[in-house]
Amino acid sequence: MGNQILAYAALNAGAKAMFGYPITPSSEVLETWAILCSKDKNLSLLQTEDEMAAGFGMIGSCLAGVPAFTATAGPGNVLMQDAFSMAEALRIPTVAMIMQRGGLSTSTVIYSQEEVRLTCFGGNGEGFRVVYSTSNLQELYDYTLKAFKVAWKYRWPTFILADGYQAKMKGEIEIGEKNRHLDNEAILKEGVNLRNCYNLEEEIGEVIVNYENDYQKNRAEIEEAETYKLEDAKVALLAHGIVGAAAKIAVDKLREKGLKIGLFRPITLRPFPVIKAAKTLDKIEKIFVIESALGQLSSLFKEELYDLSIPLIEINKPGVGFTPKEIAGIVNEQ
Amino acid sequence: MIKILFAGEGGQGVQVVAEMLAKAAFLEGKKSLYIPNFGVEQRGGVSLAFVVIDGKSATYPKFEKANILAIFSDRSISRVKRYIDKDTQIVLGPAVTQKVEKSVSIKKDGISTKAWNILILGKVINLSKVVSKESLIKAMEERFKKYFDKDPKIKEMDFKALNKEL
Amino acid sequence: MNNNQPRFPECFKKDSKPHKFCPGCGHPLVLKALGQVIDEMGIAKKTVFMVDIGCSLLAWNFFNIPTTQTHHGRTIPTAVGFKEVKKDKIVIAYVGDGGAYAIGLQHTITSCLRNDPITTIVVNNTLYAMTGGQLAPTTTDNEITTTTPLGKKDFTTLKGPEMLKGIADKKAYLARGSSFKPLVLKQYLKKAIETQIKGNFSLVEAVSACPTNWKTDAKETVKRVDELEKIFTQGEIKND
Repeated sequence: MGNQILAYAALNAGAKAMFGYPITPSSEVLETWAILCSKDKNLSLLQTEDEMAAGFGMIGSCLAGVPAFTATAGPGNVLMQDAFSMAEALRIPTVAMIMQRGGLSTSTVIYSQEEVRLTCFGGNGEGFRVVYSTSNLQELYDYTLKAFKVAWKYRWPTFILADGYQAKMKGEIEIGEKNRHLDNEAILKEGVNLRNCYNLEEEIGEVIVNYENDYQKNRAEIEEAETYKLEDAKVALLAHGIVGAAAKIAVDKLREKGLKIGLFRPITLRPFPVIKAAKTLDKIEKIFVIESALGQLSSLFKEELYDLSIPLIEINKPGVGFTPKEIAGIVNEQ
Repeated sequence: MIKILFAGEGGQGVQVVAEMLAKAAFLEGKKSLYIPNFGVEQRGGVSLAFVVIDGKSATYPKFEKANILAIFSDRSISRVKRYIDKDTQIVLGPAVTQKVEKSVSIKKDGISTKAWNILILGKVINLSKVVSKESLIKAMEERFKKYFDKDPKIKEMDFKALNKEL
Repeated sequence: MNNNQPRFPECFKKDSKPHKFCPGCGHPLVLKALGQVIDEMGIAKKTVFMVDIGCSLLAWNFFNIPTTQTHHGRTIPTAVGFKEVKKDKIVIAYVGDGGAYAIGLQHTITSCLRNDPITTIVVNNTLYAMTGGQLAPTTTDNEITTTTPLGKKDFTTLKGPEMLKGIADKKAYLARGSSFKPLVLKQYLKKAIETQIKGNFSLVEAVSACPTNWKTDAKETVKRVDELEKIFTQGEIKND
């Protein structure tokens, strides 16, 4: 199951501790880690009283140099923004798996893509985060390994943004890489005094500008996107996560009908893959943005790639999934 | 590619048999994907399971229309009407009393209610020939090992149900 | 219909029945006891009912009484807010052991400390049921849950009413009953609501059953509830 894969991936990535609170559709990550802990005394699990404690507990472990992670969804993601804000401010390498469920309050426990904005820019911050949007079970594994590496190298709170469909889906994956050793140096060590409270406007202004420079400087190494059949395309589909997987199949269906169409699938939503986008979308005349939300992905695109000025047609189904056939049908009609 | 949809209520064992089917396909070297779909209630409430099986590739778990639709309860029928097209083969479990067009009903035939889900699974495999009986037995023994070890009567009951159709 | 059947409360909403709780669950027993108390006290028209997110959320349309779902653990502060501006209403917060004693613990404690005149009913089944049976603050020693696969060890089982006794007002009311002993539970619920009417904090915990996540059959469920009634002391813990 997706959630089980995430727990095993964290283990293989070198995580040693998980802090979490049960919330559908992420609970099996916690439960699987509990089983892994019962077999290995070097691992630890703390089921906390709530998601705030889970987020800060995870930070505590990272401060000690011990890679820790959490998994949550929906209202739990909302509560954790307090912790994620601090992680951004103090450059703490947290890794959080967000299994998106319906948007708006408790909503459904099933699926949506409505936590994009929250995961990328939640809290009172500027979005100094790395967010990977996975589209299938294999990516849940591969990008979890990558998330831990990237978090501990670049020191931004890092996220696996998946959804309830991927969480509960069962299928096969290949276990390739097993890392198991991450930089274990404590952040809180001798000579270190950390603050996230400042006195004058200029002080925080300087900190944020420095962070922004760091963020922009490294983004080329972190940005990722998948492009599919865009080379000779006139029209592009823009979709992420599992909708991206459905869109890929839709591209093939539409190509069978003779349409010159391709897919641009951002894998990092933060930093948004602008370099690849600028390079591969320059001949595109029209983009269909497809998402299970109200324009959260298209907002990211518009914000970062305003200069491309390609007409966007937004296909929004908040909280509801797409099938490949459906996507092909909608695009064909336009 | 075969697309199978199981539909019933929480507690009827819908997810268990769907997972077992996906596992059986995997054991045979086929590609399979399983995904559940249900609300918050632990019992009652509609419980759906989508299974996609293909010899070469299964990349997306959900579909528009099912090749085979297995219905476990009356209350799930309205939820799955949209997945039926003219080619969908429909199987009705022993608990279903409503009439559904172009469907085949399974009689309980002396099988305990606790194994009706296995009866339905057997019928689905019988109709689709999507996995072999051997693979399914392997998947079933793996999944139910704890229960079979604890109480051989459960094993007897499940195999009796399986053998009715296969 | 013979006369020995429990009365179907008049304040129950007929079209939400049969209800959606699992067979054998303690919630419908507690809700029926509450419904009868509301009928007997004649307070349906001035009661407001708030539920947590967990199995208690399924009671959102149980009564013909204004009801709202809240967020997990935030039922008490929502109830407090309503009561703050509508002191003539009877406000009931209906929560599970997670909502009362984990994610909502600070609200439970603070509300008791402030002697907020609301009535909290805690339905305790020793685990988080709706999410599939994880550890709860009231999980008992060595109890197996999905996040304590080897049995709960290493931390204390929370006894809510006893914990609150230390900070509760002289006139507050704290009690613990059982969903399987509804007549006694009714007495506690009645006293709790009377306490609210007199302007003080009240909390009644009811030991509940969860055969779905305990994975028990009928016999085992009854046995387990018997055990829980001994572990979680029954009776009035504080009464003015």
